[in-house]
Amino acid sequence: MKKETVILNVNGESYEVHPASTDSLADVLRNELGLMGTRIMCNDGACGACTVIMDGEATLSCMMPAMDAEGKEIITIEGLPDPKTGELHPIQQAYVDHNAMQCGFCTPGFIMSSKALLDKNPHPSEEEIRQALSGNICRCGTYRKITEAVLDAADRIQKIKDGVTEKPKEEQEEVIEVSSTSFLGGRS
Amino acid sequence: MDHSIDESKYSKDYAVVGKRLPRVDAVAKVTGKFQCIADIQLPGMIYAKVMHSPYSHAKITKIDTSKAEEVPGVKCILTHLNTKKMHVNWHMGPPLDDVMHYQGEEVAVVAALTEKIALEAMKLIEVEYEILPSVYDSEEALKPDAPIVHPEYRSDNSFRGLPWIGLNRMDEDGYLRIEHGNYEKGKKEADVIVEGDNVTPIQFPISPAPRCCVVDWSSGDMLNAWIDSQTTQSQVPGLSAYLGIPQNKIRLMSHCIGAYGNKQPVKLLWFGALISKQTGRPVKLPYTREEDFIGTWRRVEFKTHMEMGVKKDGTISSFFTHCIANQGADSGFGFISMGTASVEAFTLLHKYNNSLCETAGAYTNITSYGAINGFGAPEGMYGAEKVADRAAEAIGMDPVEFYLKNVVKGGDDSMEMNQSFNGPKEIEWGVMGPDIDDFEEVIRKCAEESKWKEKWQGWGKPVSAEGPIRRGIGVATGMHHCTWNPSSAIVKMNMDGSAVVINNANEIGQGFATAITQVVAESLGISYEKVTAVTGDTGVGGFAFGNVASQGTTSHVYSSKRAADDARRKMFEWAAPKLGTTPDKLDAKNNFVFVKEDPEKKMPVAQICAANVQIFGTTTNPPQEKFFLDPNGKITSPYATACAIAEVEVDTETGIVRLTDLHSFDDVGVALNPDNCENQIDLGMCMAKGWILNEKVAIDKRNGAIMNPNMIDYKVSTILDMPDRHHYVGRIVEKPWPFGPYGGKGFSETACTATAPAIANAVYNAIGVRIDEGFLSPKVVLQAWNSREKER
Repeated sequence: MKKETVILNVNGESYEVHPASTDSLADVLRNELGLMGTRIMCNDGACGACTVIMDGEATLSCMMPAMDAEGKEIITIEGLPDPKTGELHPIQQAYVDHNAMQCGFCTPGFIMSSKALLDKNPHPSEEEIRQALSGNICRCGTYRKITEAVLDAADRIQKIKDGVTEKPKEEQEEVIEVSSTSFLGGRS
Repeated sequence: MDHSIDESKYSKDYAVVGKRLPRVDAVAKVTGKFQCIADIQLPGMIYAKVMHSPYSHAKITKIDTSKAEEVPGVKCILTHLNTKKMHVNWHMGPPLDDVMHYQGEEVAVVAALTEKIALEAMKLIEVEYEILPSVYDSEEALKPDAPIVHPEYRSDNSFRGLPWIGLNRMDEDGYLRIEHGNYEKGKKEADVIVEGDNVTPIQFPISPAPRCCVVDWSSGDMLNAWIDSQTTQSQVPGLSAYLGIPQNKIRLMSHCIGAYGNKQPVKLLWFGALISKQTGRPVKLPYTREEDFIGTWRRVEFKTHMEMGVKKDGTISSFFTHCIANQGADSGFGFISMGTASVEAFTLLHKYNNSLCETAGAYTNITSYGAINGFGAPEGMYGAEKVADRAAEAIGMDPVEFYLKNVVKGGDDSMEMNQSFNGPKEIEWGVMGPDIDDFEEVIRKCAEESKWKEKWQGWGKPVSAEGPIRRGIGVATGMHHCTWNPSSAIVKMNMDGSAVVINNANEIGQGFATAITQVVAESLGISYEKVTAVTGDTGVGGFAFGNVASQGTTSHVYSSKRAADDARRKMFEWAAPKLGTTPDKLDAKNNFVFVKEDPEKKMPVAQICAANVQIFGTTTNPPQEKFFLDPNGKITSPYATACAIAEVEVDTETGIVRLTDLHSFDDVGVALNPDNCENQIDLGMCMAKGWILNEKVAIDKRNGAIMNPNMIDYKVSTILDMPDRHHYVGRIVEKPWPFGPYGGKGFSETACTATAPAIANAVYNAIGVRIDEGFLSPKVVLQAWNSREKER
């Protein structure tokens, strides 16, 4: 099959890729760029697991021909954590703190849809969240905690914008400053 | 015998157990780094694709792969001609057969450099079939002149297990029967007898990750395989026998994504082993979504007829069930769903006093039945709770009161699920453990929070009616066992006072790895972050059957805790003399071992670990005595209970049922991690709702084809199909299970049991017509409504 050369802009970097005309963006992200966080559940545009953000819109990458993605700004789940510190994006952290996942296969897709929503509508109502996530399927039915996580994420992002920093958790345990080897000598 | 629980034993303030800690795999999952099998790439890896049968029953008379083999890039092709015909797994057919029993069965496997080449080559395989007569309906299959699905097993389609699994308790006529009390006597004592039929819909598990397998048997004699399965260790013996290699040469590593009971052995692993050996390359075998539908397992279909006798005071005096299960083509373990339903739904769910059930299974030429969330319990309870609702109506008793009147309590008769098929003919009755005493609380709390008393207007009466929309509320209860299966665990203490717990049962999304991390941290008195769980890796762990049949907590979390307790004992024995005391006077918390009476006398766990170089804690759970868990009494494995109350809006112009409110209260023993428990309850509710309102698989009655094997035509519930978080409420009720880790027990499948009948009873109350069909499609509901209007 004839392959084309295409320049894709993914997570702020440019990549030269060589998709066949039948390759979807999801195929290229996974197979050529190794970005495995974009999941393929149905490969039919029905479940949202492959959701990426393209030019600001939540997009089903399994339905998007890779060649048509040239010139678009694509963000995948791998592009969410802070590139310098590796710190999770507030939406990711909210999903963690609310345990808003079970098997976790749909989670990257849900997070990308959540981000596309919050980028446009920083303070969505619960109903707006439900509408925005209605193209994503969580087979584990974790919708209650997912909704809670997105509501909380909106608050967290606002706090960051307002310059309010969360107090770091106090370390409860005593720090033991001894190396393991020192105990070896003391073994009786 | 006193069966009360000393609750003071469980009331102490745990440091880790019972806390809403983030899952151990949470960060990997939110960053997309959680490794799925489809993500694995190995150097030199080739790809294999399966060719599926286009016919539901056919004999392969000729198969010619020569043209396909010539395609550049093709590495090997497996057919029934070049593979050994042997039963690799105790409940499945041979890898490749010369007779196809359902549309989708494996005909051949093509391995090539790429998936595309494999698929192109597959088109060149020439197959000639002799088409055989098929049967799809379970009742038709049991008729004397029906086409026989497995003539090699039997001369009829009566399901008897498999030739190598004797079902001791099955009667000559192919029925499993359980009588409790005296059914005929109970029937005579009844003031009213009500009847009801039910047909449960066929549901597919739709595991988010389509099945995939990577096998590398290319270097040396070691077979390494990465499988998407909820059982690892229990797959080794069969594979070892099939391949003719000892078990130490097989390492199975599970990366399981959303199994729901269904991701048990798949033939992909066996194919992969043969291909990798033959080609000297690692091989990946990915299924597409469609293949995952047609080539794997689905929920069993039950056709039930039930009769319930009740006295005017609300006591159930008799209960009879006749049940036929559609097992499909290749379902060797279908007897488990029959046993589960017979024991749980038809014998133990309520104090039936006198019950008789008879359950038969039928082989048919549709895709095989496999486990999905509940494994017979939801299918059985769906019918039972619809009839119980009729019984309450017949004597004019509020159904909630009716359930409370007949609630099962600790000390009541109980039996072990596996006793139903493999026990002695004469059942040895045990007793319910004390943990079931919260069944009453489960029902009361559910009724209270859902405002049952205010909303329920009587049988067949809507809560409200506005134009064509009629609102109804319904209630049902449920129950499911937590089985006791062999399990072992290892806790490895590191010199810095951290620990690794190794357990070969599997993380499948339910939070098993998190649960064992929590109990091990609690037992060792170290922080949550200092424990790492290694699950589902036969290369390092000991035997653990796998996470099926709600045994995760009772068997495998329990063995993990016992292994940690063993390591803790060793730490205490070493530390006691140094702290001037005896081991029994010590406790551990916050990464220190200390004297209980004088907590200032303490020593870091790290110090103890380093001084001992290596502390191991190990355990193998003790076997079950007969069918009972406690050697001194007769307590059986535990049963978790549930109550669901659903509210629906029925549009009487379209027949569409909209679920507006759903409450489910579930007895979980002790919640090891409340977040994960709530998530599992939500899962059960969501799956049960989809099962009867939107997920039905359409099977073509002419040829047995699945007509909607994709996620567009097969509707899994989205967030908009479920009520919002204020009206979709799964709640935990706790009562410790005395033989469980910190009082915990399994409950996740229980959450799936009560929801479906609660919705069906709500639909009845909305429209005033009882529906015998299990799948409440708009057409079915509209027909029911129109029949009522005609009668008027």
